[in-house]
Amino acid sequence: MRKTWKRSAALAAAVVVLSTGIAGCGGNETSKAPETGVAESQEEKGTAQGSPEENPSGGGELNIYTWAEYVPQSVIDRFEEETGVRVNYTNFEANEEMLAKLETSGGGDYDIIIASDYIIKLAADEGLVKEIDLEKVPNYGNIDPIFQGFFYDPDNAMTVPYGPGIPLLVYDPAMVECEITGYESLWDPSLEDSVALMDSERVVMGMALKTMGESFNTEELDVIRAAGDKLMELAPNVRVLSQNQTQDYLLSGEVNAAFLFTSQVVLALAENPDLEVVYPEEGLGFGVDAAFIPVNAPNSDNAHAFLNFILDGEIGAEVSQQTYYLCPNKAAYEFLPEEFQKSLVISTEDIPNGEFIQDVGAEATALHEEIWTEFKAKLD
Amino acid sequence: MSGYNKIINQSGTGAEKKTKGHWWMTVAPLYGFTILFVALPILYLIILSFLTRAQTWGVVNQFTLENYARIVKPVYLNTFKESFQLAILTTITTLLVGYPFGYFMARLPRKQKSFMMLLVVIPFWTSALMRMYGWIIIFRSNGILDKILMGLKITEKPLKLLYSYPAVLVGMIYSLLPFMILSVYSSTDKMDWSLVEAARDLGATRLKAFLTVTVKMTLPGILSGIVLVFIPSMGLFFIADILGGGKVMLVGNLIQNQLQSGRDWPFAAALSVVLMIFTSIMIWLYRKLSGVKDLEGLL
Amino acid sequence: MKKGRIRCSAIYQAVLLALMYLPIVVVVVYSFHASKSTIRWQGWSLDWYRKLAGNRGLLEALKNSLILAGLSSGAAGVIGTLGAVGMARVNWKSKGAVEYISTLPIMIPEIILGMVFMAFFAAMGLPFGMVTLVLGHTSFCIPYVFMMVKSSLVGLDKSLGEAAKDLGASEVRVFFDITLPLIMPAVLSGMLLAFAMSLDDVVISIFVTGARTNTLPIRIYTQLKSGVTPEINALCTIMLAVTFVIVGLSRMLGKKAPARG
Repeated sequence: MRKTWKRSAALAAAVVVLSTGIAGCGGNETSKAPETGVAESQEEKGTAQGSPEENPSGGGELNIYTWAEYVPQSVIDRFEEETGVRVNYTNFEANEEMLAKLETSGGGDYDIIIASDYIIKLAADEGLVKEIDLEKVPNYGNIDPIFQGFFYDPDNAMTVPYGPGIPLLVYDPAMVECEITGYESLWDPSLEDSVALMDSERVVMGMALKTMGESFNTEELDVIRAAGDKLMELAPNVRVLSQNQTQDYLLSGEVNAAFLFTSQVVLALAENPDLEVVYPEEGLGFGVDAAFIPVNAPNSDNAHAFLNFILDGEIGAEVSQQTYYLCPNKAAYEFLPEEFQKSLVISTEDIPNGEFIQDVGAEATALHEEIWTEFKAKLD
Repeated sequence: MSGYNKIINQSGTGAEKKTKGHWWMTVAPLYGFTILFVALPILYLIILSFLTRAQTWGVVNQFTLENYARIVKPVYLNTFKESFQLAILTTITTLLVGYPFGYFMARLPRKQKSFMMLLVVIPFWTSALMRMYGWIIIFRSNGILDKILMGLKITEKPLKLLYSYPAVLVGMIYSLLPFMILSVYSSTDKMDWSLVEAARDLGATRLKAFLTVTVKMTLPGILSGIVLVFIPSMGLFFIADILGGGKVMLVGNLIQNQLQSGRDWPFAAALSVVLMIFTSIMIWLYRKLSGVKDLEGLL
Repeated sequence: MKKGRIRCSAIYQAVLLALMYLPIVVVVVYSFHASKSTIRWQGWSLDWYRKLAGNRGLLEALKNSLILAGLSSGAAGVIGTLGAVGMARVNWKSKGAVEYISTLPIMIPEIILGMVFMAFFAAMGLPFGMVTLVLGHTSFCIPYVFMMVKSSLVGLDKSLGEAAKDLGASEVRVFFDITLPLIMPAVLSGMLLAFAMSLDDVVISIFVTGARTNTLPIRIYTQLKSGVTPEINALCTIMLAVTFVIVGLSRMLGKKAPARG
């Protein structure tokens, strides 16, 4: 009896130890960690003493904080190669997690953050966003001005647009009997149990608000309540609420119509060109993920170098081709392959018509949450 | 910390210290860790639940009971009710499916036991998200199962199996089964089988011997399995999001929403405190039923 | 009769195990898929393994995750086992409360626990990184070990320990020679579960990790913008293969050992 257990203990321990051991072989980072720590604090001193001439190619570190795989590994590798800077790429799931973390660290710890428009506004209001030193970012002029001057950065002083997009309706004409022209069409009884929407209360509530001719960002509680009532009628048609890979539901035939992010629209059309794309007649939504530097970024010079790097035409083209969002980089247009430009369904002329979803204050937000909970209870 | 020392001194000068000796050293790490890294953070959580949400971002240090008042709104009570139902269903099914497995496992030849234990756990070393996507690929419309069924002419149209309440239930059972299996196994394994034999010798049927002796002796394992399954099933939000197609709202999802898109930390904290109290009642029942009083004198 | 029953139980176990491994088979198969999309099968390929080999970020995240899971399940194994055994011996009034509090981390949804840990560690002045990750994970690993061990202690044959002590064995010897072997299945079950839980935790990790330590689950769960890439399938496949090789090897070695003895 005892022997058996000693052996299985050894066995289990072997699995654990070996797996950690194998991981250890992946690199000697554990032992190197203190060194990089020192290098980093020296670097910090360097910037604190304010030596603007300091060449960022001197190495050091760069801490990027965004969603996984949002900055292509190839782009990171190339930046490391060209500058000698070591990139630490860490991730969050929700914008709010990022802001909570950033606030806890007093706007430090991270050098580059890529997040969504509304949260950048909140971060800026909390004083956590640093102004970009344009002299260190000569490529700043490559930004297409149509993607600038938005509510979160009206003076174009703090952000670089990274992934702008317009969510659109996509449907399979072979399966849909009614005519789809806008959000209102989704309420059609013929679409029962066959619509995929985003799992986001503000986006879905926004659709209901738009059908009533209201703004996404209305703070009038009565209007929100009325939109909520209208939303409840949509429940029988909803098959799936999903943020992630929603195009797959459409492609597999699980649903016949879906409201998709730009990147998902591109991927859906690439797989099935027969799908129809609809610009909702009630009005478009719009969103921008942008990069910014936190106010106390430990490696500010490297952060500027990175912004300049992704604004390079060739790199910008590589980013857009791998993220499938709109390309906000004028210089990148010539590097984009023709078929890619075609598959990008949105023309920049539509941008000014899009409305951002913004923070609506405590009461309206609480009401949105309540309606959303009620809506979900109706769904299952 | 002084209270802690006092406790140690008390136990040292206690009347029945025959078996005490240095036993405080074995519990000291648990005491220290629990007080420092569990009790204090949870104290903060409780305080947070009485604060006020700021207009746009963060928390204002202003006392309020509003967060708790909001929970009794029907819409939120309903969420608690649904979560509870799902958790109960999950726990019962897991017990029915997992108990025989754990029991048979304990009766395996010695050499195979540890191997079996690893076989049960290894699937859970791969990412749960990836396993959920695996299920989706099998069960979705026109997925692997549909193709097989339609190929065999058993069904004609694609089934819509996923993104429903039953799909979430199955996902929960699948994810929590090993907790039940291993709990039952570890308490069955050191069971004294001679008692079952004695009962049989005294004329009990196999079923009766099982119900009166085996179940009773494995009760601690059953109970710890129930607790380990019930508690997480109240909060496993990603299964509801993925297999439920985002349509099933559990308390875990609700708290996540309040923390993220709602940006209402105090309300999320209040919901957590209520959930904590609720699950504590389960723990209390567990402690009540599986007392460890008769352990004195083992060493 | 008896044989029939054993066969029945074997079938039951086999069926259940097959179901547990079914989604993993899908994960493995799609790691060899030529396309990122899972809608239509588009042929076999080793592309994702090649991409995985070049994805430094992903491999580093895996390394961090394994270290983290090893450290926290190990710490939980020691604290939880000692605690459960000791709790059965001491008569302090506070023990019920401490035992209860120690199980709270698995009662509270991870997301709020993560946020509270973040605020707490920041208040303590601990820098975010591996240390805070291990502390956070150990907190939710302990209950698994503790509860497993505690339930296995109930009804242990006390006479064994007493007999040994009558024969003059010290308490420490009795613990290592008698108690520990008896509760070992529970300790191992608890630690294996804790290892699995730590290896897949994303929410607490997101809050308590630092700017230099990404973990594998964080990397997997936060691919919202791009969709999960099959590189992850490839990684899971390799991890499974490695685990099975280790298990297989130790089983072969284990089989030889008693023959010699």
